[in-house]
Amino acid sequence: MSSSDGPSTREIRTDYLARVEGEGGMYVRVRDGEVDEVQFKIFEPPRFFEALLRGRQFTEAPDITARICGICPIAYIASSCNAMEAVCGIELPEQVRLLRRLVYCGEWIESHVLHAAMLHAPDFLGYAGAVELARDNKPLVETALRLKKAGNTVMDVVGGRAVHPVNLRVGGSYRAPSRADLQALVPELEWARDAAVEFTRLVATFEFPDYEQDYAFVALRHPGEYAIERGRIVSSAGLDIDVSEYEQHFTESHVERSNALHSTLAGVGNYLVGPLARYALNSAELSPLARDVAAEVGLGDVVRNPFRSIVVRAVETVYAADEALRIIAQYEPPEPSFVPAVPRAGTGHGCTEAPRGICWHRYQIDGEGVILDAKIVPPTSQNQKTIEEDLVGVVRQSLDLTDDELAHRCELTIRNYDPCISCATHFLRLEVDRA
Amino acid sequence: MRAAACLGSRYRGDDAVGPLVADRLRAAGATVLDCDDEPTRLLDAWAGLDLVVIVDAISSGAPAGTVHRFDPGGGALPRDLGLASTHAFSVPEALELGRALGRAPRRVLVVGVEGAAFGMGDPVTPAVDAALDGVAAEVLATLNEEG
Repeated sequence: MSSSDGPSTREIRTDYLARVEGEGGMYVRVRDGEVDEVQFKIFEPPRFFEALLRGRQFTEAPDITARICGICPIAYIASSCNAMEAVCGIELPEQVRLLRRLVYCGEWIESHVLHAAMLHAPDFLGYAGAVELARDNKPLVETALRLKKAGNTVMDVVGGRAVHPVNLRVGGSYRAPSRADLQALVPELEWARDAAVEFTRLVATFEFPDYEQDYAFVALRHPGEYAIERGRIVSSAGLDIDVSEYEQHFTESHVERSNALHSTLAGVGNYLVGPLARYALNSAELSPLARDVAAEVGLGDVVRNPFRSIVVRAVETVYAADEALRIIAQYEPPEPSFVPAVPRAGTGHGCTEAPRGICWHRYQIDGEGVILDAKIVPPTSQNQKTIEEDLVGVVRQSLDLTDDELAHRCELTIRNYDPCISCATHFLRLEVDRA
Repeated sequence: MRAAACLGSRYRGDDAVGPLVADRLRAAGATVLDCDDEPTRLLDAWAGLDLVVIVDAISSGAPAGTVHRFDPGGGALPRDLGLASTHAFSVPEALELGRALGRAPRRVLVVGVEGAAFGMGDPVTPAVDAALDGVAAEVLATLNEEG
C-alpha cells in the first residue's frame, strides 16, 4: 500500500487484496469529501469455458464446468445437470435428487466455513489472516478446519472426491452410496451441526460497521425447503419466474474495466444474490434449529447489513449440517442410481444456489447430444454492481478513517460477498484516490 | 516419511507442471500428497512428515523452463513467485498455518519450473515440457535419499 498527498488528490493503493477467491481490483475516487467514483474490477482473463463446451457431449458439461471453481464445483455440476435433464425431459427420483442435495450441503459447509472462519473472521478479530489468528486462537482455527473437513467428507463420500467430484452425472450419480456409507457420516455431522451453532454465537458477537442498504434480493425458492438445488427464481421486488425465463428479466453487459459481465434485473437494476438474499426470501424454510439460532443471535427476518453476512453464513452452515443429517436419516439407496439421459435437440436451463448465490446455466444441444451453445452466469458477476454500490455507501460514511483503515474497510466490504472472482471470469488491487 | 505435493491445474497451460510431475512420480512409486486445488487439505496430509517437496509452476520473469529450487528452512515460503497462486488459501499460508497448529512437515523444499503461459486451455510451453523429466528425476532422488 502506498499513499500520496497533494492539494486536491489523496491516493491509497493496495496491490493485492487477499483472502478472496481469484484476482481482481478496486478503485475509489474521492473529490471534495464526496465519493466520486467506485470501480470494482475483475482482471482475470475471460474464461473460455463457454467456448470450450461447444462441440462436447452434453454429458461432459458437469465434469468440465466443475473445473471452473475448486471451492464450489457442486454448484456447476448441479446447474449443468439440471439444464441437461431439462432438455432430456428427466425428472429425478426423490432419493436421486436428495443425494444431489446432500453433496451440495457438503459444499455449503466447506465453502462457508472456509470463508467465514478462515478468511472473513480475521477481519473482525483484528488479525491479518488465519495464520495470525491460529497463533492466538488455535481452538477456533482447529474447529473451523474440522468443520470444513466434515463438509469435504460429505463431498468425498457422495461425490467420489472432495474437489471436482467425479461421481455425479446427468440424471443422478454413477454409484449410489450405501446406507452404511452415509450413516458413517452421522457422528461428525452431528458434531459439525453443534460446532456451527457455537460458531454462529461467536460471530454474532463481532462488531459490525453500522451500514445497511435496501437491496433487491434474488434467490431460488422452492416450497417446503430452503432452496438449494432446485426452485424458481424469485426476488424481493416480486419476481417469480421459471429458471428458463431468466434471460427475459436479467441482462448481462460488458463493462470495460472488468472481464466479468455485470448483471442487472429489468426494472430494478443491480441486485444481490447469496446468503443475505436466501435468508431474506426463504428464512421461514430453515430447519427449526437454524431458525432458533438465527433468532437467538438477533438476525430478524431480513438482514440488510452486508457485514453481518458472516452470521448468515454461519446459520446456513448450521442448516446445511442439519439438512444433511435429515437426508441421511431417511436415505434409501436409489436403484438405479441415475436416470439414463437420451439426448434430444433443444435448450435447457439450470440454476442452483452456489454458496455465493445463484449459478445459472443454459445449454443448447442437438439430437446427438452435442453442445451447440452454452452460457454460464456465476454468482459473483451478478453481485459485482452491488459490491460497487456497497463500496460507495461504505466509503461515504467512512471518510474520517485513515487511509489504512479505509482500505481495510473496503477490503472487508468486498469480502462480505465471498467473491469467487475466478469463477466470474485472481488478487485484488485496491486503489483509493481522494481529495 | 517423505512425500511430494504437486500443485496446479492441468487446464491452465504451464500451471500443469505440478500434475505432470505428479504423474511421473506416482508412476515411479513415490508418495504424492493429494491436495487438489485446496491447500488446507495439506494440513492433514503432511503433518508429521520428515520432508515434503512442493512442486509447482513459478512465474518470476525468468526464461520458461528455468528450474527454481528453494529451501526455506524454518522461514516462510516466498509468496511472490506464483506459489501464492489463485486460491483463497495459498500453500505458503497453509505451511504457516500448519506450523502455528503443529501440523506441518519437519522440512519443506520447493522445486518450481518457470512457466510462460497460464491461460485457460493453453498448451504446455515446449521449454517447460522439456524440463519435466529432469525435475521428476530430481524430486524422486530427493525423496529416496537416506535420512
